Amino acid sequence: MVEVFNVRKLGCIGLLVVLLFAGLQSCSTEFDVTADNLDVPIVYCLLNTSDSVQYVRLQKTYLIEEAALEYPPEPDSMVFPGEIQITMERLQNGIVMETYRFQPDSNIPKDSGFFPTEKHIVYKTNAKVEANSIYRLYIYLGSKEKVVYAQTTSLGKLTVVDPMQLPLRKISLYEGNNYTCRWLPVEDAGLYQVVIRFHYSETRDGITTSHYIDWPQGFSTPGSSRDYLSKDISGIRFMNVLKENLAVDPGVTRTVDGIDFHVLSGAIELKYYIESTSPTEGALMEKPVYTNVTNGMGIFSTISQVDVTGLFLSAVTVDSIAYSRFTRNLGFLDHTGDRDSTNELADF
Amino acid sequence: MFRFFSKWIQYALVSGLIMVAGCTEPVDPGDDPIDVVTPVTGTLEIEFRVPGSWLPPSRVVRADLSIATSAENLYKGHFYQVANVYNSKLVYQFDIPPGNYYYQAGIVCLAEGDSCSAANYPGGRYGMKWAIGTATVLEDQTIHVVPQFTN
Repeated sequence: MVEVFNVRKLGCIGLLVVLLFAGLQSCSTEFDVTADNLDVPIVYCLLNTSDSVQYVRLQKTYLIEEAALEYPPEPDSMVFPGEIQITMERLQNGIVMETYRFQPDSNIPKDSGFFPTEKHIVYKTNAKVEANSIYRLYIYLGSKEKVVYAQTTSLGKLTVVDPMQLPLRKISLYEGNNYTCRWLPVEDAGLYQVVIRFHYSETRDGITTSHYIDWPQGFSTPGSSRDYLSKDISGIRFMNVLKENLAVDPGVTRTVDGIDFHVLSGAIELKYYIESTSPTEGALMEKPVYTNVTNGMGIFSTISQVDVTGLFLSAVTVDSIAYSRFTRNLGFLDHTGDRDSTNELADF
Repeated sequence: MFRFFSKWIQYALVSGLIMVAGCTEPVDPGDDPIDVVTPVTGTLEIEFRVPGSWLPPSRVVRADLSIATSAENLYKGHFYQVANVYNSKLVYQFDIPPGNYYYQAGIVCLAEGDSCSAANYPGGRYGMKWAIGTATVLEDQTIHVVPQFTN
């Protein structure tokens, strides 16, 4: 009886020791707070119907232990190793008409910024995008043995009505005078955007250099108009844009060179993508980011672009830039080529 | 006990009187001290017709519509206002102070070959024709003019 009791006692003590040991072993001060990186492919490709060269940007999700917004990733962690094949097909009535193969190109200069530009390869191909055709993009990733796939329908031709490519027709853009940009609706387009490019020259110590300021307008949606779509460019906002983008520098003389209009239309997928990545209003604070890329993230869509370049600003606009209350300190010459204050009109 | 309360009532009444006397009538801050003067203006309305010719309509377009305060300023290019002209817009309005103004309207020929020269546009393609006139703008009135092109 005593032996049985002792055996049971020993068994209980042994069990306790095992449990205690297991408990101590499971206590660890190190936690793995991150899940495994899934290496999700991220693809950006906007086929431009106005260009003969098309580009694909391919990268992948990465994971770092540090604060992601403070430490940029290693260049290697943003790209897939191994074999990568990118091809694109154009289909007409369900039949593949053309096949294009993208080649890596590291010669395109990239902006400096948070992410490393080293190993940031862009893939390109020579392809003139046909209007209203189906395009399919295939990306084979050898290291993952995976195919990323996306499809889009190219846009129709974009026709800009105003401004005309007519330099004799001067553009007036000053306080109290706006410009209306007009274009014809494009079939299947989801959004439009007008970008103003203002050209000017700076002369310092006898050396003149050319510069420009890009002023993108807000997005326009197709709306219900079947005739014209339009965007009003504000004259007073234009003056403010110059004031905000140019530094006051007494040692510099500036001259107005001209203005370009870039009108873009984007397909419906691009509209969804921009809407899904724009700041949220309302109760739903975190929206899922739209993608039309299967087995990955990103966007494959088309844009159509028309550039109306080499236009001139009217003499009143040039004088307004030289003497208006917003821009008079920026050192611009008036339309006569001087800074004579007697040219200043009372309205400015 | 009653005397204590009567003193307390006296203090309360005196304090109340002082507080009431201290309350003055609220002063109306009035309007913004900066006098906002609405500028006196009239409207110059220019009906910018492109004259018909045997050239296709899309080959002759509006190119310029400017106004100046004097003939000298007009010729020197010292304009008071310059309108943005469009193919689809016929009537252009200028809200300007009353006075006498000179205007110029220009049309340009875009046809190729010798069509523009044959239609009396100097220099052929991109040749321009001008219509110059004067108009008196009156306060709160709309003056309507139609530039007349010759030839």
